[in-house]
Amino acid sequence: MKLHLEQLVPYSLKDKITSGNSDIWNQAITFNDSELIKIEAPSGTGKTTLTHILYKVRTDYSGSIKYDNIDLSKCDVDTLADLRQNHVSIVFQDHRLFPDLSAGENIEIKRLLTPQFSTKEIIVEMADQLGVSSILDRKVRFCSLGEQQRIAIIRALMQPFNWLILDEPFSHLDQKNIIRAVSLIGTECKKRNAGLIIMGLNKDHYFNYNRELIL
Amino acid sequence: MLNQLLKKLIKNSAGHAKFALAVIGLSVATLLILSAVQLQSNYHELLNGKKNQDSIANFLVVNKSLTDQNVGASSLSASQLNDLQKQPFTESIGTLTASRYKASIQSNSSLFPFYTDIAFESVPAEFIDVSTKDWHWDEHSSFLPIIVPNQFLDFYNFQYSFSQNLPQLTPQVVKMVSFKVTLQGSGQTFSLNGRVVGFSNRISSMLVPQNFMDWANTRFSTTNSFQQPSRVIIKTKDPGNPALTNYLKKEGLITDLDKTRFSRYRQVVDFVVNIASITGILMFTFALLIFSLFIQLTISSCKEEIELLILIGNSPKSIGRFLMNRFFPPNVFIVLMGLLVITIAQYFLADYLIEKQIILNSLVSSITILAAILLLIVLAIVNYYTIQKYLRLQQRTK
Repeated sequence: MKLHLEQLVPYSLKDKITSGNSDIWNQAITFNDSELIKIEAPSGTGKTTLTHILYKVRTDYSGSIKYDNIDLSKCDVDTLADLRQNHVSIVFQDHRLFPDLSAGENIEIKRLLTPQFSTKEIIVEMADQLGVSSILDRKVRFCSLGEQQRIAIIRALMQPFNWLILDEPFSHLDQKNIIRAVSLIGTECKKRNAGLIIMGLNKDHYFNYNRELIL
Repeated sequence: MLNQLLKKLIKNSAGHAKFALAVIGLSVATLLILSAVQLQSNYHELLNGKKNQDSIANFLVVNKSLTDQNVGASSLSASQLNDLQKQPFTESIGTLTASRYKASIQSNSSLFPFYTDIAFESVPAEFIDVSTKDWHWDEHSSFLPIIVPNQFLDFYNFQYSFSQNLPQLTPQVVKMVSFKVTLQGSGQTFSLNGRVVGFSNRISSMLVPQNFMDWANTRFSTTNSFQQPSRVIIKTKDPGNPALTNYLKKEGLITDLDKTRFSRYRQVVDFVVNIASITGILMFTFALLIFSLFIQLTISSCKEEIELLILIGNSPKSIGRFLMNRFFPPNVFIVLMGLLVITIAQYFLADYLIEKQIILNSLVSSITILAAILLLIVLAIVNYYTIQKYLRLQQRTK
């Protein structure tokens, strides 16, 4: 599934974006299947805005985004639900978990949307790998940000996808945990032959990026 | 599984008390509306049901009320008859044909001598409340069957016989007596045997078969031209119908007042039953409003959860379905309980009324069941639209 951006300009950044100073804003750019893409974005350049636009959380922009033939701004709610269930997965910077469900339930509620894809055992396996298996029964409200971040990563891996979008996914993790998470994400993307878009403030070498772009 | 998690998320954030209030309001309204329907159907059953039907009351003999202005011109015109026929309360109409010749009856027996001049009337057989195989006449018949009003016999037995020192007669005895009927007119005299074959409560005239009347009128009538009838008999479903009373009054017609006096009470009962229905409908409308407000409240109090559910890939449709599954079953339960209560009440009502000789179906009427189904459909539609509307609103405010 190709991702094509065409002259994307969010209304909120209209004044900041002048031609040529961004690899993404106001450019025509295509991300190919299973490409690993790093988007380096200093503060205030619209990193989270881009994440939200790519996942259709926000629609206040001009230009267009296409997943293959699906024009994101024009697709209906059912197509969008299918896209989010089967083709595009995400880890938000602010995690977006249900605070009153347990960590395990938060993952489960996502898994049950595509129950044939993964099993409950996989949840435990991944939680083990990321060192959060002991907090699966704890309400998210009482989990630390680092724990929440890892739960959000596991949740994102419960579904099939062609693209995984990560918005500063390791901001609350220590080096050891980052390595574990990177390895898990890398394996899962390879399994699905999926592409990866990772947003970060600085340069990094977590993955073997095909492209490194500046926002 | 997913539903359990959803249930946990979209819990009763609107509050159990509010939910209970909405359910109580809806229950009361449902009960009221269903009982109004059942009441109406009982009322109709009492008025029109076969078991309770008073056979006399359904036939009314109608004629012009005689005033100084119309004396001698009391016949009903063809257009009047036509109009009467077209009225919704008229099921069928029959004309009473009066004899246009002189007639007398005279005893055949010296033991019990009597002689009197009389006049006959005839009506189509379907309007007669006496069924007897003797009600038949042709030119070869040995006797002429006559139906006499019950009042005549009463008048004879309880007044006339005393004053004339004559024996009282039972209906059976009267039916056995054969007498001589003499017809006179157009310069001819004709005699034949007659016999009383039955007593009528419906028409207060001496009745002979229609074909005899036609035959005799042609043969003995002094005025040969066809005459408009002065009296007609109408068959009606409901003599207490206020529309009928009003119509007769407007047209200057009268009938047996006894039979129509119920129309006044009917108007009062109609009014009361209608008030019950209107109250029920109003209550139901309010209850619907309360329930849809409750749905609205639940959805808006779970705004964030619903947003996030859609964000992680749930389709608004599936959430709508989940909400429908959550809100509609209590509605079904409420309506079924309402129906059950009405069924039990109806059973005891029928049981109670049977002691008072009022026969009512002890089962709930099919109209009430239909009304319950209709309520469910209305509830389903209101639930569905409220959910859809507020889900959509949630997404738009994003």
